[in-house]
Amino acid sequence: MIHAVLIFNTSGIPRLTKFYTPLHQSSQTVVQKIFSLISVRPQGLCNFLDAPELEAFLGPKDGSNERWRVVYRNYATLYFVFVVDGAESELGILDLIQVFVEALDRSFQNVCELDLVFHFDEVHHILAEIIQGGLVLETNVEEINSSVQSALKARKDSFISSNPLALGGSVGGSRNGGLPTPLNWLTDRLTGVSGR
Amino acid sequence: MAANMRGLTQFIADIRGARVRELEEKRINKEMANIRKKFKDGNLDGYQKKKYVAKIIFTYILGYKVDIGHLEAVNLISSSKYSEKQIGYLAVTLLMHENSDFLRLVVNSIRKDLDENNEVHNCLALHAIANVGSSEMAEALAEDVHRLLISPTSMTFVKKKAALTLLRLYRKRPEVIPAVEWALRLVSLMDDQDLGVVLCVTSLIMALAQDHPDAFAVCYTKAVDRLHRIGIEHEYSGIYTYYKVPAPWLQVKLLRLLQYYPPTEDVTLKSVLNETLQTIMTSSAEPSRNVQHNNAQNAVLFEAISLAIHLDTRSPLVDTAAVLLARFISSKETNVRYLGLDTMAHLAARSETLDPLKKHQGTIILSLRDKDISVRRRALDLLYSMCDVDNSELIVGELLRYLKVADYVLREEMVLKIAILTEKYASSYKWYVDTILQLISAAGDHVGEEVWYRVVQIVTNTEDLQEYAARVVFEYLKTPSVHESLVKVGGYILGEYGHLIANEPGYSPIEQFQALHSKSQFCVAPTRSILLSTYIKWVNVFPEIKPQLINIFERYRHVLDAELQQRACEYYALACLPDDNEMLQNVCEEMPPFPPRVSGLTSRLNRKMTDTEDKRTWIHGGREINLEQQQMSTLVRSKQAELPVNDSTTASGTADSAVLNALAGLDLTVPSEAGESAPAPRLTVGPSIDKWYQKLTYSAEGVLYEDVQIQIGIKSRFQGYLGQLAIYFGNKVSAPLTSFTSTVYVSDSAALSATFAKIPANVLAPRTQSQQLLQVECKKVFTCPPILTVSFLAGAYQSISIRLPVIVTKFFEGVKFGQADFFERWKLIGGFPREAQVVFPICLDAAGHIDLPHNRRIVSGNHFEILDGIDPNPSNIVGAAVLHTSVEGKVGCLLRLEPNREAKLCRLTVRSTSEEVATAVQRLVETALRME
Repeated sequence: MIHAVLIFNTSGIPRLTKFYTPLHQSSQTVVQKIFSLISVRPQGLCNFLDAPELEAFLGPKDGSNERWRVVYRNYATLYFVFVVDGAESELGILDLIQVFVEALDRSFQNVCELDLVFHFDEVHHILAEIIQGGLVLETNVEEINSSVQSALKARKDSFISSNPLALGGSVGGSRNGGLPTPLNWLTDRLTGVSGR
Repeated sequence: MAANMRGLTQFIADIRGARVRELEEKRINKEMANIRKKFKDGNLDGYQKKKYVAKIIFTYILGYKVDIGHLEAVNLISSSKYSEKQIGYLAVTLLMHENSDFLRLVVNSIRKDLDENNEVHNCLALHAIANVGSSEMAEALAEDVHRLLISPTSMTFVKKKAALTLLRLYRKRPEVIPAVEWALRLVSLMDDQDLGVVLCVTSLIMALAQDHPDAFAVCYTKAVDRLHRIGIEHEYSGIYTYYKVPAPWLQVKLLRLLQYYPPTEDVTLKSVLNETLQTIMTSSAEPSRNVQHNNAQNAVLFEAISLAIHLDTRSPLVDTAAVLLARFISSKETNVRYLGLDTMAHLAARSETLDPLKKHQGTIILSLRDKDISVRRRALDLLYSMCDVDNSELIVGELLRYLKVADYVLREEMVLKIAILTEKYASSYKWYVDTILQLISAAGDHVGEEVWYRVVQIVTNTEDLQEYAARVVFEYLKTPSVHESLVKVGGYILGEYGHLIANEPGYSPIEQFQALHSKSQFCVAPTRSILLSTYIKWVNVFPEIKPQLINIFERYRHVLDAELQQRACEYYALACLPDDNEMLQNVCEEMPPFPPRVSGLTSRLNRKMTDTEDKRTWIHGGREINLEQQQMSTLVRSKQAELPVNDSTTASGTADSAVLNALAGLDLTVPSEAGESAPAPRLTVGPSIDKWYQKLTYSAEGVLYEDVQIQIGIKSRFQGYLGQLAIYFGNKVSAPLTSFTSTVYVSDSAALSATFAKIPANVLAPRTQSQQLLQVECKKVFTCPPILTVSFLAGAYQSISIRLPVIVTKFFEGVKFGQADFFERWKLIGGFPREAQVVFPICLDAAGHIDLPHNRRIVSGNHFEILDGIDPNPSNIVGAAVLHTSVEGKVGCLLRLEPNREAKLCRLTVRSTSEEVATAVQRLVETALRME
């Protein structure tokens, strides 16, 4: 089972945290701990980390001989981290991370960190089409994308029905569409971004 | 969609703009205060609620604690607008945990969304349950979820979600899911055409099958069949290839599922499985350039190797696997090295011979120095698993050397493992003591209490060891800096066995005392109290140093620590008793040996299992540990599944005591309700079913079953103790029957075996017929015919269970006798108990005569040779036959049928050298004759 999906950037700021099992620590501490373990690992090491020192943070309930493993992958400025137990194939999870990124890329067209910040809800919806309750739901990018699109359409319909006067009803995570997206409207105004 | 909420976008931008953490916090506090006020004022429309809840979610994701918005989220869920509903559900799944009180409020909204005729709403509801489903929800909603899963009108994406949601509910409340009852219906979903659905359903079945292995047994065939179709027949839709590997996740899941079952006995399945695994292994022999492709291929490959190891460690497949693994552990790719070592540990844990692995011992030891700690860990586990008597000195030596430079986080585990290996594979006592003391002195702080307890236990229980141990420990104590654990061991061993070496030069009592006492000042109170006990023992055996010892007791009488003070006072009083008092001697008797018990070390390593989680199929450590573990679980299961039918009391009695022995001293809890042993399928009833069956008991071919949808026909052939049944399934309707499954249930598999020649196709096209060959073998006399269960989806799920006409007389072969021979044998066999006789009423034919041809047909249909001219009465029938069995050999059987027209009665007498056969045959022939 997959116990957590985390995305944080190279400074350790979380961009997505999703836990499928209740934690006995604040999610912040867990992210910091995992970040501190992963960020010191140079390129070329394996993508798996079975860390007993994590057990205190997110270990399974007492009395289980299952050891949780961390499977992670680094894309540009982001770390994608999955915490899984022995029932999952490590390489399978590694592939799943790739699928997740490809799905994000489909929806956002050339995804970047900013997309994850401004469309946090959309990211969660996409993740929900891949993993549900800690189990792999769908692994096929096409299928995932079509589910995301159908949800998007449902949202658009409900938006139009409630705002009949809205222009075009530009909704959705994609940055295409006729109107200048609010993201452009914003990036102009952002100066001295520290990385927060 | 955050995009069309300007306020939210502004809020996010502000936070990103905040240069320091304080500013960020200030902005968030301001926003939260604002939202709180807005919520309090009330009167918000849907859009505003949605916006504020979205802001709260964002704040939560940043890692801040939020305590508002729960109620608004609940309100949003029941909104009719999808966009609001979606945010509401997102908030519920993120902000609430499964025990949250607010969840009670959403159960009804969720149910409404589940029942709605709108798939996207169904999906939202399912997703919410799968994430936060509580046991309360399990009770309320399990039925609805199940309905969505099996309904033929559900869209594939709803089915997928429903399968996983059901799994979640099962994990929360196993008792609300009637798993056994739903089993066949759920397994039939594994034949779905959409591989996505198959993947999700397989996840569900994997969890259920672990608890109810027998009820879900059909899934084994389904999994093998699916793997075969993907891997060899390349039967899958193109979109499910991932970097040219067909459905890797599904393959991995199926391969894993098969590992939860004991290796199959079925010859057909075995060969199909072998072929599939072989293909997987050879196809991944050449690595490609693409990382993604390699990953996916290796994921399948590693799982296939694990399965091959699980099936049979002696098969040629495993040899191939061992060669592949050897290549992996020296691969350039770190991931591959890591998994190679991991899988090798699996092999070491199960394999009977470690020789193929030992060839690579050097490489594995080198991996202990890999640059990646994850790899080092795996190497450590592997070395631990592959250690045996021959290589223990080498491996333990290597581990000890590595321990000194190992990562701190690794050390404690290493110490435990070294201690276990040293104890288990010690070739000499000397080596054991040397190694373990070296371990304690090298690892210092990482030595858990268990380690030195165990040393003391072993030294106390092994007389030959005591003198040597005392000498070595004394040498350690003489070195300037000694770790405290070693002082504890030293204190105990010298106290008990110091006198054994006291006469040798350099080991005199005063020298022992000085060496030990010089360490005392650096030790904590508990260690000092151990030392005080050592001193009182010395007072008993070394009178020459008594004054020094009494001096110490005296001083310790005034320390502040209560424990130390009390010991000192008591020991002082004991020591000061007059010399002729025997009190001291009695108190300081030598310690008796400890009762033999399982090492606390291993139990610390292998902690018990949890219940509904997926279990590991093996654990680190040698083969014996794994065997033990397996035995344990099967024994426990057999004990729980004590069926009333099972009359082998002796067998279960011994099993019980074996369980008790195995459990003694071990803390291994029973896995939760282990599976019910498969009950016989309930037979389908119908007016003609019995007649069809009876007719086939004495004829070789005919119709076995027929209804509006399906027709089942049989053609059979028997030769000696073997038989072959061709079973014809005809689809009578104009739609295909999907998920077509046929299984055979044999109640006594030691007496009769029945296997299909190949895995049948799972779709029966409209108005066509398919044929399946069933091979049967009679091993011993049996009474219950096998039961054929056919199930399929034709709109709804249907299943038919009927008896197959395979009865003991099918394995008869007629023999010819003359009159004299016959009667000689008849007399030789004699009467009861080797004779079975019955008198029963018969019907006469239309003309009022005995239906002689019919009787003859039945007797010869039961494979008796009808012997004419033996009985003077022409309406009587006499027959003889020999039963062939593969285990019990041949059994002769004679029969005599005497119908009486006037009384409308008939007497049937069967004599056989086997009592069982006589009774069985008499019953079979009688039933056939009565049936009209």
